[in-house]
Amino acid sequence: MTSTSTTSTPSNTLENRPTTKQPAEKRPSTKGRSDLTFRQKLSHFDYKASPFLYIAPFFILFALIGVFPIVYTLNVSLYDWHLLKGQGDFVGLANYESVLSDPFFWNAFGNTVSIFLLSAIPQLFIATVIAALLDQSLRARTFWRMSILLPYIVAPVAVAVIFAQVFNQFTGPIAGLLNLFGLEPIRWAFDVLPSHIAIASMVNWRWTGYNALILLAAMQAIPRDVYESAALDGANKVRRFWAITVPMIRPTMIFVVITSTIGGLQIFTEPKLFDGRSNGGAGRQFQTIVLYLYELAFPRRDFGRAAATAWILFLIIVFAGLLNYVIARAIRTNDVKPVRIAKPKAYLARSNNGGRK
Amino acid sequence: MTSRRAITASIAGAALFAIVASGCAASGGGSSDGKITLSITTFGTMGVDANYEKYMEENPNIVIESTNLEGGGAARDDAYAKIAANTGLSDIVAIEEGWLGTIQEVSGSFVDLRDYGIEDVSDQWLDWKYKQGTDADGRVIGAGLDIGPQGLCYRGDLFEAAGLPSERTEVAEYFGGDDASWDRFYEVGKEYVAGSGKAFYHNPSFFWNSFVNQQEEGYYKSDGETLNVEGNDALKDQLAMIVDAEKAGLGAGLPGWDVGPQAKAGEYATYMCPSWMLGIVQGYYDEGTTDSGWDFADVLPGGAANWGGAFLGVSESSEHKEEAAALALWLAAPEQQAASFELAGPFPSTTEGQSLVADSTNEFFNNAPVGEIFSARSEGVIAQAKGPEDSNIQDNVFGPIFDRIGQGEITDGDKAWDEALVLLDQLVGN
Repeated sequence: MTSTSTTSTPSNTLENRPTTKQPAEKRPSTKGRSDLTFRQKLSHFDYKASPFLYIAPFFILFALIGVFPIVYTLNVSLYDWHLLKGQGDFVGLANYESVLSDPFFWNAFGNTVSIFLLSAIPQLFIATVIAALLDQSLRARTFWRMSILLPYIVAPVAVAVIFAQVFNQFTGPIAGLLNLFGLEPIRWAFDVLPSHIAIASMVNWRWTGYNALILLAAMQAIPRDVYESAALDGANKVRRFWAITVPMIRPTMIFVVITSTIGGLQIFTEPKLFDGRSNGGAGRQFQTIVLYLYELAFPRRDFGRAAATAWILFLIIVFAGLLNYVIARAIRTNDVKPVRIAKPKAYLARSNNGGRK
Repeated sequence: MTSRRAITASIAGAALFAIVASGCAASGGGSSDGKITLSITTFGTMGVDANYEKYMEENPNIVIESTNLEGGGAARDDAYAKIAANTGLSDIVAIEEGWLGTIQEVSGSFVDLRDYGIEDVSDQWLDWKYKQGTDADGRVIGAGLDIGPQGLCYRGDLFEAAGLPSERTEVAEYFGGDDASWDRFYEVGKEYVAGSGKAFYHNPSFFWNSFVNQQEEGYYKSDGETLNVEGNDALKDQLAMIVDAEKAGLGAGLPGWDVGPQAKAGEYATYMCPSWMLGIVQGYYDEGTTDSGWDFADVLPGGAANWGGAFLGVSESSEHKEEAAALALWLAAPEQQAASFELAGPFPSTTEGQSLVADSTNEFFNNAPVGEIFSARSEGVIAQAKGPEDSNIQDNVFGPIFDRIGQGEITDGDKAWDEALVLLDQLVGN
């Protein structure tokens, strides 16, 4: 009806801006999104999104190889799934119930905890001591540091096979030594505690060097002058170790404890090969949770219950991790408090108060 | 772009392309330059490897890649895992009688050998052996390799030292010959212990397995589906007898397998020997030993029975079914079965194979006429019906019980039986 508005429009509004790019490029930060060129939008997107894109491959791969199997295992655990015959009926949480009420599961759980404690505690202690020894200025330092890592390089299967021979109650060297001194033979593969000690020693042999190097790295980060001043104050080596080294490597120790816990709850190779023909000993003397899972899955061919066991183990490990975290936080508050830098505003306010306007 | 960036970009692109291309290259796995590679998985000492060279000579376009697993248990778990994953089974798989029942439940994983001409030669096998390899739908999934007639391996030298007869026919008579009974066996055992101060056998589980196989119906009833353990008095009484024998010191308290050093040290004097066990006992000693003291008698307490026996199956996932089936049938043919027997002891399941080895003697076992003995021992023997959990029950229900008995942890027959039932319920019952 009426003609277009007679209000005069300024000459540089959005609609009739000159088409040269120059003005826009000069002040990008004060313009809104909509008036950026395509190239600018692209570079803005690049700036914001490229960090995520760089780390995306790992997460995509992890989603495919890590998360998907975990979710699929949950799916398997909800069915009556036979290994060979495939998926059966939906049974909900019945598999979980049956695993949690199975005395063999609790036996495996007890064995796992026992082996874990027997391996983690001596390991932590010995690794700390070794790290402290290596921290000093020795001759051929690098050689010593490299060689404690050698046990870690040997394949776990090879370690298990050889240690099984060493701990053979009839023909092993330990049995021979006991015989020499006229002592009673120890039934390494038959009695509960000896079998746990044998398996824990395999685990310790492998992981002590690795953990020692990690703790050594932490110790090297401790400033040397702290030691010097302590020495000047009259502290001897042992005192310096307990009063300075141990408290200052606490975060690393917590990390070592967490990784040992996660590894210790999943021990499989060593007990499996300790007695090759059974799954954790004829009477399940050293059957760990993962071995119990293996037995459910393959000889007994009950895939559904095995998947339920896997998820129960997963939840146990998550719980252990959380427990570690809570304890770590509790310990940390007893540590030296980090220096707090006051916020600039408050600081300025205080200083301005000194000189009123 | 500057030329430096262009060069860097093109090098990166070429490298990426190369990686992707090599990663995507299809792995041959089967044929290259006209040759076909067939993979075969066996276990223990089956002696099948005696025949590979000959086949490869006669068929130059075939290459045989063999994997030998340590024992039947390992082979079983391996086969299960691969069937479940639907991939990885070798072209030919050796299947043991003990877990054939479970395999029959998923017999679709193996080809029907009738499509590859097994029916033309079906009468070369013992009837029951051929039938064993047939599933419920009539598909023949296993070509029979060996059967397990049993005799008694013993240490002639140790018997003599303990005042018992040591010549094999005398030994057979001493145990009762055709009327040999378990009571008599344990009696002789006590005599041996008294005369030598050492154990009679290393582990009772083998004698137990032998006994179970002698029954008309073992762990399962003839239909192969109903459990036959609870309320089975024959089994219960035998278990009590074994417990008593252990208390009398007949057992050495050793684990079932890997007892070579103890054999050499003379810690036990008898070994239950189905034909395939000969290879295992021989394997404890260095190759070529002839004066080990072991001998082999034509007697079995409780009468003749079959324990074990293997089959060769061709997996459905094989890429060369035709060639694999040809090889499997060839390996199961009489001449090849005879060659396996000569090498490792498993007794042929073909009548012609049996007659081929009728005169064979075994140097290790003091030149015992093993061919003759096993022929005698397999007369009239029919394999027992096996169910799906047979292997599981043998290894995981009764196996631990015997280990505990051997270590002196259980000293009462009733308690042993009760424990076995509890284990059975937990492992199989549900």
